[in-house]
Amino acid sequence: MAASSLFQTFRGFEQLIVDTLKIRDARDVEDAVRAAIAGEQPLEIIGHGSKRLIGQPMATNALLDLSALNAVTSYEPNELIITVQAGAPLADVKSLIDSKNQQFAFEPVDTAPLLGTPSLGTIGGMIGAGLAGPRRIKAGGARDHLLGAHGVSGFGESFKAGGRVVKNVTGYDLCKLLAGSWGTLAVMTEVTLKVMPRPESERTLVLRGLDDAAANRAMTAALGSPFDVSGAAHLPNSASRAEVSELGDLGSTREAVTLLRLEGIAASAAHRAAALGKLLAPFGAAQTIEDAASAVIWGSIRDVLPFAAGGAVGAWPVWRIVCPPAAGGALGEQLARDAGGEVIYDWGGGLIWAALPPKPDAQAALVRRHANAVGGHAMLLRASDEVRRNVDVFHPQRAGVAALSERVRQSFDPRSVLNRGRMIRGSAA
Amino acid sequence: MAIMMPAPDQAVLNRREAIVAALRAIVPGEGVIDSPAEMLPYESDGLMAYRQPPMVVVLPDTTEQVSQVLKYCFEQGIKVVPRGSGTSLSGGALPLADGVLLGLGKFKRIRDIDFDNRVVVTEPGVTNLAISQAVAHAGYYYAPDPSSQIACSIGGNVAENSGGVHCLKYGMTTNNVLGCEIVLITGEVIRIGGKSAETSGYDLMGIITGSEGLLGVITEITVRILQKPETARALMVGFAQVEAAGQCVAEIIGAGIIPGGMEMMDKPAIHAAEAFVHAGYPLDVEALLIIELDGPGVEVDELIKRVEAIALTCGSTTCQISTSEAERNLFWAGRKAAFPAVGRISPDYLCMDGTIPRGKLPEALARIRDLSVKYDLRVANVFHAGDGNLHPLILYDANKSGEMERAEAFGADILRACVELGGVLTGEHGVGIEKRDLMGEMFSEIDLDQQQRLKCAFDAQGLLNPGKVFPTLHRCAELGRMHVHGGKLAFPDIPRF
Repeated sequence: MAASSLFQTFRGFEQLIVDTLKIRDARDVEDAVRAAIAGEQPLEIIGHGSKRLIGQPMATNALLDLSALNAVTSYEPNELIITVQAGAPLADVKSLIDSKNQQFAFEPVDTAPLLGTPSLGTIGGMIGAGLAGPRRIKAGGARDHLLGAHGVSGFGESFKAGGRVVKNVTGYDLCKLLAGSWGTLAVMTEVTLKVMPRPESERTLVLRGLDDAAANRAMTAALGSPFDVSGAAHLPNSASRAEVSELGDLGSTREAVTLLRLEGIAASAAHRAAALGKLLAPFGAAQTIEDAASAVIWGSIRDVLPFAAGGAVGAWPVWRIVCPPAAGGALGEQLARDAGGEVIYDWGGGLIWAALPPKPDAQAALVRRHANAVGGHAMLLRASDEVRRNVDVFHPQRAGVAALSERVRQSFDPRSVLNRGRMIRGSAA
Repeated sequence: MAIMMPAPDQAVLNRREAIVAALRAIVPGEGVIDSPAEMLPYESDGLMAYRQPPMVVVLPDTTEQVSQVLKYCFEQGIKVVPRGSGTSLSGGALPLADGVLLGLGKFKRIRDIDFDNRVVVTEPGVTNLAISQAVAHAGYYYAPDPSSQIACSIGGNVAENSGGVHCLKYGMTTNNVLGCEIVLITGEVIRIGGKSAETSGYDLMGIITGSEGLLGVITEITVRILQKPETARALMVGFAQVEAAGQCVAEIIGAGIIPGGMEMMDKPAIHAAEAFVHAGYPLDVEALLIIELDGPGVEVDELIKRVEAIALTCGSTTCQISTSEAERNLFWAGRKAAFPAVGRISPDYLCMDGTIPRGKLPEALARIRDLSVKYDLRVANVFHAGDGNLHPLILYDANKSGEMERAEAFGADILRACVELGGVLTGEHGVGIEKRDLMGEMFSEIDLDQQQRLKCAFDAQGLLNPGKVFPTLHRCAELGRMHVHGGKLAFPDIPRF
């Protein structure tokens, strides 16, 4: 199959008219990457394009569209694994595993509401972005659930990494690198993922009126208990944030809420909720929200709905800051004060979503100074093209790590034909 | 020695005296060992069939010393083999005749226990169990529990991505490590990750974990610690057929239950273990499952009932449920002593380690039985059944001519069968030298080239632990080339964009 006959015209989003290579099978990917190498033309790799607004703006003028690679290769619920092609719609795969009472335990974030894009995206995008939701504190991230992958490197060669079993130490664990690499190492064509049983029930304890520091302490106490907390989030009181209907059960946004989730068989979740409520009594009396209502709240936290594109702060840049969890409260409080913005805490304080009033640099220097001070890192998840062009979207690394990371990248893609410049500012040229 | 190691470099061996002197200048006193008698304990690791005295042993006790030793070796073109406690079962720490053996045994300090962030920052020579002991007073533990946890070092655990009985529910080392300080072969010291849940940029910690000492030397590690579950109870379930036990494992998982541990033993393993520790194992069953449930009492009680019911529908013939910690520990005693127990009934044994999809357990066992007949060697099977990780123990007598070779061929056939059944060559012991030459069974040359290119990003001269993991060594310049023919790319006819 010559790459030329794969060309179609595609009107990508609002801005550019670009050539699209609509891939039909893994062989096409090889051909396209080899053509890209030969033509010294970098490719932008997309599924549904749901996350194209994330990362440094790229200097590519050809799209490699994997959305037609959308088959479920095999699903074996008793093995707790599913093998799917990279372009498979995440929504379809989620409902398939849901039908067997299973789930991706790392709760992949749906960035569509935050970015104002229409689609939940594909499995390939889910892994490439590696954005995990509230349960990361218990179940790990996307990197912990990717067991194997087939892909095409920037050498134009098809290779496989990992396997189809949960326990595997054969050779280097390349899957860890692929997860969260934003398509800069290889074009994944098929992945094998771990799935986990969906908990039979869930309870959320709600504490009200805590300031960020006290909430951080409450979450630290909860996560240091034996009660197997699977979500620990805090929404500070907010003057500007609009009411979010999905958080309706929680009442006014002017009152801070601290949320702690317990999942499992009903008797166990109830037992632990009671015990945790007792442990947290010094922080106030806890209200309990159950099952479906609880799930809705955690969906809102996962997808950062209070900062949704359609909301009151929808035009503000959004930072995703990861830090040592016990340092989160102080960091978030200072940042919100100094930048005049809004923050939401997840992962017991270890993940801070910060929406800050618009500035040409999205207040990058301030954000990074605060993050660096506690050994954390900050990524500019939402901002205009122009702002992202002027700011390091991913946290700048220390020289040694940056150089090593670049050598690692070159070991997969020496000619930088895959998503060139998406992770490092100034490397798109 | 059946496995060929890289040929010693005579030029390096000729400079041995000068090398020892230079290393002494970096690591003073007893930190450099060069007498044959004193180097004896370092000749082999847990894969004791293979022995090789190193050129010299160095035991630094600071990161600065590690950095200087590596920088010196890099500049002099000297190979380096890192070593933790030396418990590797795949020969990961087997020395090289012309190599420096770099022992991390003096890195024995826990640097920081941070309960608020639920992490421990430790030096690599600290044992796996010592980490759990250091935080036990506050109800915490470090989850991965390889059976050698009394002796094995956390640095070695990271190098091998060690597992253990509890990794079914709590993950392997890679799922429980957050950061490290690592010294590259150039002597450059790099810090990756820390107390945060994730690192920024590429997941370098993920690639270092399980890299078998080929990418760098780890001098500090940050691990996650967990609160101990409120309670734990175990069931011991016997089956008249192995197939029924395998079915039971699949159905428990299929029912949405992830036990803390789920282990299987076959009849020879049951008998050997029972004779050794008298755990009260039933002797008239073909397979025994030990299933541990942990969590709050109400949860454990409920899940025990469900598991018992599933076992009955799968045709269990015996079922005992622990009612006390002592009884639970007794159930485990036999399983945990299975290796030494088998050691009592055979002069030597080879411990294999492959993983298969859980559903293929009966088929894998049938194949192992056939191979046992073919090679005329006995085999006892213990499995981490919950995650399909097999540990067949092949019994042989090294003093009988040809038996060791036969046992190794038997083992290789088992691993080939694992790959054929959709599994992998190693679940938790690593490739090392043991499975190095089988890598082609699982990976194509292109797959292996990609892995070796990654090695080049860390160690372009191939000085760190050469001869392990990869069956053939390529020079990095060779691996970095595009497929160019006559000065042109391989697909000149493809139109330009």
